[in-house]
Amino acid sequence: MSDKLKDIINKQGQQQESGTDKSDNVVQLVGFVIGDEEYAVPILAIQEIIKPFSWTRVPQVPKYVLGVFNLRGAVIPLIDLRAKFGLQTKNHSDETRFIVMRHGDDVAGFVIDRLTMAIRIDKVNIGPAPDTVSGDDTIIDGVGKQEDKIITILKVNKLLERDF
Amino acid sequence: MDEFQEILQDFLVESFELVEKLDEDLVELETNPEDLELLNGIFRVAHTVKGASSFLNFDVLTHLTHHMEDVLNKARHGELIITPDIMDVVLESIDLMKALLEIIRDTSADAGIDVSACVARLDKISGGDGAVETPVASEPVVEEVAETVEEPVVADDEPDYENMDDSEIEDEIERLLRERQEEDKAKRQAKIAAGEKVLAAPPEPDSEEAKAEPKAEVKPEPVAAPTPVPVTPAAPKKEEPKAAAPAKRAPAAVEQTIRVDVKRLDHLMNLIGELVLAKNRLIKINDDVEERYEGEEFLEELNQVVSIVSLVTTDLQIAVMKTRMLPIGKVFNKFPRMIRDLSRELDKKIELEISGEETELDKSIVEEIGDPLVHIIRNSCDHGVETPSERLAKGKEETGTIGLKAYNEGNQIVIQIDDDGKGLDIDMLKNKSLEKGIITEKEADSMSEKEAFGLIFKPGFSTAAAVTNVSGRGVGMDVVKTNIEKLNGMIDIDSEIDVGTSMKLKIPLTLAIIQALLVGVQEEYYAIPLASVLETVRISRDEIYTVEGKSVMRLREEVLSLVHIGDIFEVERILDANEHAYVVVLGLGTSKLGLIVDTLVGQEEIVIKSLGDYLKGIEGVAGATIRGDGGVTLIVDVVALMTMARDVKATAMIDNSGDGAAVSNEKTKASDYTVMIVDDSKTDRMIMRKALEPMGITLVEASDGQEALNILKSGDHNFDAMLVDIEMPRMDGYSLATEIKKYNKYKNLPLIAVTSRTGKSDRMRGVESGMVEYITKPYSADYLSSVVQRNVNFKAEFL
Repeated sequence: MSDKLKDIINKQGQQQESGTDKSDNVVQLVGFVIGDEEYAVPILAIQEIIKPFSWTRVPQVPKYVLGVFNLRGAVIPLIDLRAKFGLQTKNHSDETRFIVMRHGDDVAGFVIDRLTMAIRIDKVNIGPAPDTVSGDDTIIDGVGKQEDKIITILKVNKLLERDF
Repeated sequence: MDEFQEILQDFLVESFELVEKLDEDLVELETNPEDLELLNGIFRVAHTVKGASSFLNFDVLTHLTHHMEDVLNKARHGELIITPDIMDVVLESIDLMKALLEIIRDTSADAGIDVSACVARLDKISGGDGAVETPVASEPVVEEVAETVEEPVVADDEPDYENMDDSEIEDEIERLLRERQEEDKAKRQAKIAAGEKVLAAPPEPDSEEAKAEPKAEVKPEPVAAPTPVPVTPAAPKKEEPKAAAPAKRAPAAVEQTIRVDVKRLDHLMNLIGELVLAKNRLIKINDDVEERYEGEEFLEELNQVVSIVSLVTTDLQIAVMKTRMLPIGKVFNKFPRMIRDLSRELDKKIELEISGEETELDKSIVEEIGDPLVHIIRNSCDHGVETPSERLAKGKEETGTIGLKAYNEGNQIVIQIDDDGKGLDIDMLKNKSLEKGIITEKEADSMSEKEAFGLIFKPGFSTAAAVTNVSGRGVGMDVVKTNIEKLNGMIDIDSEIDVGTSMKLKIPLTLAIIQALLVGVQEEYYAIPLASVLETVRISRDEIYTVEGKSVMRLREEVLSLVHIGDIFEVERILDANEHAYVVVLGLGTSKLGLIVDTLVGQEEIVIKSLGDYLKGIEGVAGATIRGDGGVTLIVDVVALMTMARDVKATAMIDNSGDGAAVSNEKTKASDYTVMIVDDSKTDRMIMRKALEPMGITLVEASDGQEALNILKSGDHNFDAMLVDIEMPRMDGYSLATEIKKYNKYKNLPLIAVTSRTGKSDRMRGVESGMVEYITKPYSADYLSSVVQRNVNFKAEFL
């Protein structure tokens, strides 16, 4: 084994250790884009991320509820976050994904424009939601500050709550 | 485990469930005291617990719940408003009820709690003077006596196991074992004497059984814990309880059983669901491969494997479903005891005849069916069967008979409850309902016999003149109907005065799987439970008439009101309306409705899935199912559909006129023109591209019909023309053209066939499917370009 490889392995080991040391203060999120904004949800709330496929329309629901789809035998509602956030709907592209989120027994799929990445963010870098939108009703959990940008962190339980 | 214990177990499990729910409801009621729905629910809990506990002789519990029920009944009828003070007392009584249930669980008797103070307060609230006699709690000893009547052999001189040490218990077990073996021996000999051939029973199960049973009696078992399955028939009873039915039980064979957690079965069922989906995909892929590699040798092998996989999967599915089936006898078993107690209480002579207890039903249904049956049988005893003197006066036998039988009928199971009592008096039913304001005079006059019988299921209806411990508060039958409908079942009543009443509960074999009729509207599909479909008719548009804004049609001698499924489910109308439509005639009890659909797809067995919490309560949708192609199809809720249909105006038949208006936009440059090239050969596409590129128009390529259709439907481009090859995999040119022409939007889209097929019949087919031009290969680039220019109205200035 070359020294270089050993070095890398050592480094990785150290990183992992330091990672576990600080795990209490670090939040792991998955970032995604809707419209021009980047949002994130806790990684543990995500059941899976899948490529779009066909769904069935359901009557008497708001426009942002696209319908239901079949996730390996389970019938799961599909919600278009663009429509829910008041943006123009657009056709699905190669980057469109369904994020299946779970909170307790509630499961739903959400259509997002594009995935960005998994993010580790220190708790101290997460600020509260702006005063104007805070309170129990908002779906914004907080705002994560990163070097060059800020990310809106969403409350999964609110996303999965039926509001019609 | 004897019969009493089994009933007791069921009672406890049910009561704890109900009480748990009760807590939530009461808390909500406090904030929302006028909610009638909630009050009704709470009232029913008290009623059910009272009913069951009175059968089991828990007098203290009955006494308490009876008074609770009084208070709640007043509140339910608006005679009493639930103030926090009253709520305190009600909550206190519920705590007492819980405590009593816990004591019953631990000691099988309801002694040790003084309820008199609480009952007095309850009585005061409901208008009494608070002076109520509290019955003396039945001591555990009393229960023991009751048990000895039930099973004299086992309890002959039941020693006190609690005070024995280990060795004594061992001895006791030994003794019981010997006793049991001797009994079995005697029984076998008796059978042999009776001329029957009996195989020598293996001794192991016997001894195991004998050991297991006394142990179970030493320790009171926790309610939810699985109880050992009796492997051999229980000890023979010396005498049957007198009033109980002489229900004949088949001599139980030695069963080989194993207890499995239901969760595991459910999990297995889910896994098989996924396997079925995978199988369906495999079949589809197999078809594709077959088409592509026709004649190759490996195909046959693949075919064999696929068919074996699909066969085994289907068998597996059936096998797992069967493991969930239970004989309905499990429910029927508790009725002989109930009838005996009831007949004593009511001073009537009633016999119960049970048949078909071996009929099997899905476990979840077996669990749900118990409650409704209790209510129906209780009603038959109380209202149906007359007192002995009345019966004699009518010339009937002194003893009344209630028949309880179960049998299979097609895909359904029928549970029939017959009594030879006084029958339902239609005039009396109508008068009662009028009195209580359940129906109007007009309704009463136009009511058919069956509809009148159905009145007994209305909430608030009771024909008993006085409120008794058994029935007469008008909740029971209402519960029956809701529960049966929850199981997708139907109730059918027949009755004749002084001859008797017969009720048939028709229930699907399993909750999860039903037969459904699949119908299509535009591009969507819906599943209608076949149980509510009476017939289907094909009609032409001009057979539909409009009366007062509603569509109707004449079906033989009847006028049938119609509703379009598209209006119910807000289906967008993109496809062209056909000359013909299909009407699915739905029947629910006595009401009928015609549902107009575009196409009938066929009958299919579907697995019902819930839409989940997020989408629950959508009117008209009972659930969803997953089809063979992996897509989701919604299941129509026929009951809700009937109500929704009343509010729907007749709009479905009017074709929307403004089609094709927004399709063609003003063209300002050559690249605004968009043409799709559909050909499976890359070379051919390239040749066409080369010929058309000089015009400067936008070109989009697709390699087969399916892909072309998807591109078209996605709406990313507004196409001005399409060049279509005829021979293509997946979807050929003709089918593509036919599909496209179904859409209003694309009626005027020019389709140009480009093909090497030159036969006349090919050209004819092209025209039939909606092609406007027919270019045969080979062609010159100029010719192709000119044809396209002509068809898209290419403006000369762009050239």
